[in-house]
Parts: sequence; structure tokens; C-alpha cells
Amino acid sequence: MVELQNVSVTYAGGVDALNNVSLKINDGDFAFVVGSSGAGKSTMIKLLLKEIDATSGVVTVNGYNLSKLKKRKIPEFRRTLGFVFQDFRLIPSMTVYENIAFVLRVLDAPLKYIRKRVPYVISLVGLHAKTNSYPDELSGGEKQRVAIARALVNDPQLIIADEPTGNIDPELSYEIVELLKGINDQGTTILMVTHEHDLVRHFGGRIINITGGEIVYDEVLTGTNAELLPEVELAQAMENAEFQQSDEYSMPAGDGSDYGNPYVDDVIAAITNTSNDNGGAE
Amino acid sequence: MKISGIKYLANQGVENIWKNKMMAFATFCVLLISLLLVGCSALFYINMNSMILGLGDQNEIAVYVDTDTPQERVDEIGEQLRNLDNVSNVNYISKEEAYNRMQNQISQGKEIFNYIDDYQFMPDGFSVTVADNDQIRATVDAIKRIENIQKADSSPQVAEFLRELRRVVTLIAGAVIIALAAVSMIMISNTTKASVYARREEIQIMKYVGATNAFIRTPFFVEGLVTGFFSGAGAFFITWAVYRSVYNILMEQGMLINAFGAGSIIPFADIRVICGLVYLLVGALAGAFGSTVSTRRHLDV
Repeated sequence: MVELQNVSVTYAGGVDALNNVSLKINDGDFAFVVGSSGAGKSTMIKLLLKEIDATSGVVTVNGYNLSKLKKRKIPEFRRTLGFVFQDFRLIPSMTVYENIAFVLRVLDAPLKYIRKRVPYVISLVGLHAKTNSYPDELSGGEKQRVAIARALVNDPQLIIADEPTGNIDPELSYEIVELLKGINDQGTTILMVTHEHDLVRHFGGRIINITGGEIVYDEVLTGTNAELLPEVELAQAMENAEFQQSDEYSMPAGDGSDYGNPYVDDVIAAITNTSNDNGGAE
Repeated sequence: MKISGIKYLANQGVENIWKNKMMAFATFCVLLISLLLVGCSALFYINMNSMILGLGDQNEIAVYVDTDTPQERVDEIGEQLRNLDNVSNVNYISKEEAYNRMQNQISQGKEIFNYIDDYQFMPDGFSVTVADNDQIRATVDAIKRIENIQKADSSPQVAEFLRELRRVVTLIAGAVIIALAAVSMIMISNTTKASVYARREEIQIMKYVGATNAFIRTPFFVEGLVTGFFSGAGAFFITWAVYRSVYNILMEQGMLINAFGAGSIIPFADIRVICGLVYLLVGALAGAFGSTVSTRRHLDV
């Protein structure tokens, strides 16, 4: 669960990055955070990672009150999260396996569990053949799938994805979001920052628009891809806060196969079928 | 943390050397050069000091006993001298021996000895060598306080000169060693900083996935420790080879040895163990701490 209560962030020099923002994302939600450059999205991500502190207000993530969280407790807090970054942030000197296993090493997980869990997660993202490859040997889409596997491996309560499709081909973007949706279906809360309206329009769901450090729109968008508003109108709608509203949202019709990535179905099926097979990390 | 976790971190440290071999090699070279600079300066100073002390050994106190002192009392004085602090050696010179020495030392007017056929007018004497030249004045004073001592002479100028020489050498060598050590620390710090900087993203990623500072630092510590250890070993073998060559060259120069006290140069075999240990220890610690400290600024994420 993520909750921001009257949160403001003012950087040195007097720049107001967030202005009295209140927001609640419940467990199991999938939320898109959209907004133009400089709107305050990155500041919000930094807040949620406890990279910076709020100037005022209360930030609560996974039960941790970040405003009061001591420095030595930050690693413990971050272990409850998974991160996916636009630039992948894989350790270049480690193989795919090592990059993912590293998270479990940090948790001091038993070797036996690591040996079972990591190949399982790699297979979920369809990279079994690349287990021993180094990041430099992977395409952008593959790197991002490794990043998702890394975010997923410790079975986090919340995954924060900061522009995860920003550095990959548009058609691969859909399979990345499909993957995240599949993970969300298993109960993991996903918060995805993006500026790609196509994706938001296609997948729908909860959409939070930050503009000028304030939340100008926070509603749930329902309907299929075809039913959703075209891009220009979507942008306008987001700005004018005139989206169709609903109490609950559903997955859009697109299943990823339209984009030439049939493995996505298998992956989601695998997540669905084997969610209880991942053993207990703790 | 479990044993397997510690083993993992140690292995990561060793693996990182290979994975980041260029930076590791740069760190190795900088540490090696730094250790050689400081180590050779220190060895030079130690040998200079030893040579000065060796020259000082030649500085003796000439002690003269009253001429009418009976032999038993002379023997007692000899014992008293041996029991004094700072006295390392006492050599008795009898009246007869002193007489013969005087005859040999006088090159002109030796005819005078034709009129002196008795050496009883000569005083008994002692040649006293001191342990610490710096304390020679106090030792002379102590000798003078002994009964039946007619005179105690040293060459305080030589002692003063040697003491001054040691002081100057110590000051210069100390300043050079401190300066070199400071330069070395800056070099090591910059190299390890550059090495760590190249991997700052790696550190940040580790922080994002919840690694503690200790977890991140340990492989860097091990990496620096191992690199520093090998630098220490390299510096030791280079020093060994160079030192032995220089030592052998100097030992072949007999004249030089006598003139400059080069006979007091310490053979490498005498300092091999301590030299090796210091090189390995300082190298390993400099590498380990340089590397660990350099990670600090990147840990605040």
C-alpha cells in the first residue's frame, strides 16, 4: 500500500516539485502515473524509494512511514519493493542469473532456494536461453525483462516501474506492460510511470496525472482498446480530468499476441499456474 | 549473515578484480609505486642511521689514571668503568703499552726516548667505548667522578657532529617519507576513487535492491585487500632485488666502507622478514581501506 498525505517537496533553491499531494494506492492495484517532463513524477518515485525526504507531509509505503524511517532501516524497507527503471540498471559485470540472484543474496536467502527460484523467474520472463548472458549481450527488451525478473524475484508487495518502456521498441512496450499486468494479477501492486499515451489508452486502469507538482487527475479508466479515446483526445482528457470514471477497472482486450510476442501468454499462464511453486523466501 | 553469505561476498571481491582488471591493475601499479617510494626511503633512512651509529662506535673516551695508583686500584677502576651506564666496552692500556704507543706516534725527536728508559712516569689508562654517543658528555662526567681518575677525554666535536648529522638526516628523511606517504595516499585515494566511480551505478543498484552498506563494501574491501597484498608482495621482491644489488656493489668498495661507515649497512637477510611483513600489511591495508572509504560517497542513495 502506498499513501501520500499532503506531501510537498521543495528542492534547494525554492523549486516546488510536489505541492500538497495526497494519494492512496491500495494493495493489488495497477496504476499508471503520467505527466509531462518536470511535472513531479521523478520526485514522487524518489520519495517512494526513500531517495529523498518530503519537505512536509507523510509518505507511507508497505507499512513503512518513510518520513520517520531511520537510515539504517532503508535497506530493510527497500527489500519489500521491486524496481524497474527506464535504463534497466543491470550490473554489467554480472550475468542474467547473477543479476537476479543478487537480490536474494542481499536477503541472505539459502543457496538451495536461490538455485530454484532464479531459474524459475528467468523462465517467467522468457529468458531461459540467456541465463548466462551478460547485459551487454541482450537487446533492450531482454534487458527490461531481466529487470522485471529482478524486481519480481523477492516476491515484493510493490513494484515501481519508472518509464520501463522508455528505452525499448514500441511493440516490445506492450509485452513489458503485459508482463507487469500478469504480475499484478497475482496480487503485487504495480505503480508504473510513463508518458506513452498509447500504452495507457490500450491498457486502461487507474491513471494518475501529475502536472506542476499536483495531481490533476486520478481516476480509473475502463473499456477496451477500441472503446478508449484516441490519443489526442486522451491527452486532452487527462489534462481536463474528463475521463470516464469507474469504481473498478479491468484488463483491456489486448493480450499481447497482437504484437507478435506469443510468449507473453505463456508467461502469464505460467505466473497464474505456478504462483504457489515459488517456495517461501522467508 | 550465514557463512555462505560471507563466502559469497569474499568471492565477489576476488572475482571483481578479474572483472574490472584494468582498474585493478591501475590500483596495483599505484600501490606498488607508492610502497616502493615510501619503503625505499625508509630503508635508506634506516641504513643512513646505521652508518652514522657505526661511525660513532669509533668515538672513544680516553681515561687516564693517577700515576701513583696501585695496580689493584687500577683493576677496580676498570670494573667501575664497566659498570657505568652507557659503556659498551672498556679496554685497559698499561703504562708500558702507553709508552710504546707514544714512541710510535712521535715521528720527530725520538731521541728523547734515549734519555727515558722507564715508563713508570706514564699513567695507566683505559679506552672506553660508549653505547650511545648522544650521552657521551654525561658518561665523561661520570668517569671523572671516579676516584684516582686524572683525566677523561672524549672528542665531543665528533659526537656532536654525528648527533647533528643524525638529527638532520632524521628530519630530512622524515619529511621525505611523510611527503611521499602523503603523495602516495593521494594517489591511492584517487585511483581507488576512480575505480569505485566507474562502478558507482553498480553500487546504486545494490542500494536500490536493499543491500546494506556493509554488504556493498565487503567485496570492495576484499578486492582492495587482495590487490594491496599483491602490490606489497611485488614491492617486496623488487626491493629485495635492488637492495641486494646495491649492497653487493657497496661491499665490494672496501675504501668506501671504511670512509663512510658503509660497513654498517644492514644486510637484507637481517630485515627480510620485517620488510616483507610491513610491505604486505601496509599494502593490504592501504588497498582495503582506500577502496572501502572511496565507496562512501556513492552509498548515500
